[in-house]
Amino acid sequence: MNRLLAGVLGAGLLLLLGSPAACKRVNPAGLTMELLPVPDDPLVAFRILIKIGSADDPSNREGLAQLTWSLLADGGSRTRTIDEITRAFYPLAGGLALSMDKEMAVFSGTIHKDNLERYYGILRDMLLDPGFREDDFNRLKTDQADFIDKSLVGTMDESLGKEILNLMMYDGHPYGHHEAGTAESTVGLTLDEAKAFYRENFVQGNIVIGLAGGYPADFPKRVESDFANALPAGFTPRMILPTPRKPRGLEFVLAEKPTRATAISMGFPIRLTKADKDYFALWIAGAHFGEHRQSLSWLYQKIREERGLNYGDYAYIDHFVQGRDKFPAPDHARQQQVFSIWIRPVNNENRHFVIRQALRELKKLVVEGIPEDRFEMVRTYLLNYIRLYPQTLEERLGWQMESHYYGLEDFLAQARAVLPRLSRADVNAAIRKYLDPDNVLVAVVTQNADALKAALAADAPSPVRYANPNMPREILEEDAIIQAYPLNVKAEAVRIAPAAEFFHKRGLPAR
Amino acid sequence: MADARFRLGGERAERPKGIPMIRSAVGGLLAVLALAVPARPAGTDIVPFPVRIDKLENGLKIVSIPLAHPDIVAYYTIVRSGSRNEIEPGKSGFAHFFEHMMFKGTRQTPKAAYDEFLTRLGAGTNGFTSDDYTCYSIVFAGQENLETVVKTEADRFINLATATDTIKTEAPVIEGEYNAGAADPRRRLIELLRDTAYSVHPYKHTTLGFLKDIQDMPNQFEYSMLYKKRFYAPDNTILLVAGDFDPARLKALVQKYYGGWEQSNYALVTPVEPIQAEPRRAHYPWPTRTLPRLAIGFHGPAYSDASGDKAALDLMAEIAFSSFSPLYQRLVNKEQKCLSLGASFADTRDPSLLVFNAVIKSAADLPYVEKEILKELERIKVEPVPPKILADVKSHLRYSMAAALGTTDGLAGTLAFYVSLAGDPGTLNKLFDLYDRTTSQNIQDAARKYFRAANSTTVTLAEGSGQ
Repeated sequence: MNRLLAGVLGAGLLLLLGSPAACKRVNPAGLTMELLPVPDDPLVAFRILIKIGSADDPSNREGLAQLTWSLLADGGSRTRTIDEITRAFYPLAGGLALSMDKEMAVFSGTIHKDNLERYYGILRDMLLDPGFREDDFNRLKTDQADFIDKSLVGTMDESLGKEILNLMMYDGHPYGHHEAGTAESTVGLTLDEAKAFYRENFVQGNIVIGLAGGYPADFPKRVESDFANALPAGFTPRMILPTPRKPRGLEFVLAEKPTRATAISMGFPIRLTKADKDYFALWIAGAHFGEHRQSLSWLYQKIREERGLNYGDYAYIDHFVQGRDKFPAPDHARQQQVFSIWIRPVNNENRHFVIRQALRELKKLVVEGIPEDRFEMVRTYLLNYIRLYPQTLEERLGWQMESHYYGLEDFLAQARAVLPRLSRADVNAAIRKYLDPDNVLVAVVTQNADALKAALAADAPSPVRYANPNMPREILEEDAIIQAYPLNVKAEAVRIAPAAEFFHKRGLPAR
Repeated sequence: MADARFRLGGERAERPKGIPMIRSAVGGLLAVLALAVPARPAGTDIVPFPVRIDKLENGLKIVSIPLAHPDIVAYYTIVRSGSRNEIEPGKSGFAHFFEHMMFKGTRQTPKAAYDEFLTRLGAGTNGFTSDDYTCYSIVFAGQENLETVVKTEADRFINLATATDTIKTEAPVIEGEYNAGAADPRRRLIELLRDTAYSVHPYKHTTLGFLKDIQDMPNQFEYSMLYKKRFYAPDNTILLVAGDFDPARLKALVQKYYGGWEQSNYALVTPVEPIQAEPRRAHYPWPTRTLPRLAIGFHGPAYSDASGDKAALDLMAEIAFSSFSPLYQRLVNKEQKCLSLGASFADTRDPSLLVFNAVIKSAADLPYVEKEILKELERIKVEPVPPKILADVKSHLRYSMAAALGTTDGLAGTLAFYVSLAGDPGTLNKLFDLYDRTTSQNIQDAARKYFRAANSTTVTLAEGSGQ
């Protein structure tokens, strides 16, 4: 972590937002305040964002950022042990959650304003004067290693597929490891390394303090002053990321383990984020093709509803983390994004068919574009659905902070303004510009991987099995096309490794 | 109280998976209260909103909760039928299956039209099934859409079109749902616990049902007709609507569109679980890597807002097994034997299990952790709870419930759960009154009554052949 530069960011900045009360300001040392006062609200929400995530892990120290931030959230302060903090928070139903991502982490909590002083005093010490006790470090390190080594690999097939897809996309890239690190790297981390990582990175210019709700008028100034007095100036320049490798044709990784059903994720890096003007056009395409856990999803209709082949099928035009209910959780922003398809587990005997079906639908989307009737309906959907996004204080604050990360004043307001102006041609142009159906990475968690590899390499027919003997003729006719749909996969583009070998070391297991 | 918002069932209700979210062990109030719900001091109602209850002649009850929060309306349909109603052999999982069928459309609004209706509305939709009820929610912006929602939902519940082929195509989706959780040892442990602890009551199976019954669902067209006739009727259904709307107008709309729905008058008789006479035990060897797991269940009482046992046990679970309890802090933080430790006392219409569970770091420590849990239960029987601890737990429950009631949807979903249990949201105020009145002696008495070895079922899960 040598990118840390001492310095200041120049004069303070005041940026007024959509709401007259909401604002962002930056102090001369780079500490950012994101404020959303709601005077009548009896609650106060905190979102304290640190612009350092797993991409900032030093080489061979993968998992260090997560372990260090976990020590803050769950390791106690110098003045209070974690047990004492838990006992103090408990009657208030208070807590401090941590969410991790590649380029950021967020500490969040909400408290009734009656208890604000008590809560904030503890939270302040947790973040600004952490305990760094050996016992807590060992506990959290073991939990992190167990997650990687036992839970992810042994008990979470769908997550395993998604994480293997991430490995495939970002081999040799700062995004190319799990936030929790590898089994090998995590075990080797030391408390001294965590302390040093904190000192180096938990500095004013890396921190955004979000406050929302019914806090007293002078409260933000006090919080700002506490952080400014406790932390050094300085910031870590935004990472300059290498361009991810483009897939060469269809590339498969098959993680082999005993499975009742096969989990499938596929996708590729994409040159677009919320900051791009094309985002909204591609958003309509993404919602049409695979809106998260909605029957609107085209893939869901084709694979689940028409054929009953699994529990759901979705697609995303950027990294998606589910928040409350099915809404996206804000503050998982990244400089580089991905397009991905999530196929929920299918019966092992139908896996080849469903892989073909999803890839064929992607190809059809690019060649044929979004149907006219779907375009208008999906746009109407998005304009209504996004009204439900910011229902809680934390969500409102989170969207405010995410907007600013991407240099936007108010992402949701911009969506409301831009979506009605888009045409079907705009959407189809964005599809053709950003989605490439011929060069796709596919991660599969399954058993009998050799048989799948042989079938893929031979482009063997993949008939589908149904419980319903009376499937409609139009479905069966389409099935006949799908089961013979050529994928042109080369045998050397299909790698097999036992699931247990993933996440031991950085990158994919040796061939 | 525990598991108040525990949801099982359709895709729409599934918990997030694969999210790199780390929740601090300093658990607690993580949701936020857009509705500005105050944490009510002891002695005042936990539900501080005006609630209006109407009933149509056909028995359909309407619970209306107008809120000041603008723009959003949560429309919940609560069918008081869940796994508990699956009383015939071979029919486990049927309540959940029927929930899926409820999205297949009517003659007036076929499936594609219903999907388009929800899509254009931009609604947050959900359907889920639990032990005791099946719930359908539509959360939407703009009360100008209220009449369309009432009209479309009434048509769906009264005039659902079901065909044999539709069932044969949808039934494998349930197996797909089963498959989606097949790699998760938590579900296997719950299945094993229930199957071992119960002999005749339908709580013996999970909401998804036994796999063999799921695989037979494509052949169950006739039974699905019987199921609909028995349970999808106004006298077994409650509408709960919260948000920005006029209750009088809602009542008129419900009368107009649901007034012709015919009653069922079906009287369900669930089998009574015989008293367990000796301890039971089972183990599941997990074929791949995993952390070992332990669950100890005791047959306990049904939900009640009048009898003190359930309230006392809820408080006891928090006192002895939540993250601030001495046992948790010792086993998780100090000795570091466990990744997690907790208690789950579900609120259910029939007597159900009081469950203590632990995720353990090493299989060698399974016997030790089990022994420590049982020792703690013995300690509770004889040692009074310090007054400050009791007060802290009551405070925690009040603030937590205030958080659960914090958004329009959160409030509607939480109250829907309690309405499903007791038929009336007022039950929540009565429950919190009971908590306020519960004493240390009540807790000791309840512990002595239920935590007996003969009443216990212990299940474990570990890699390979295990114990």
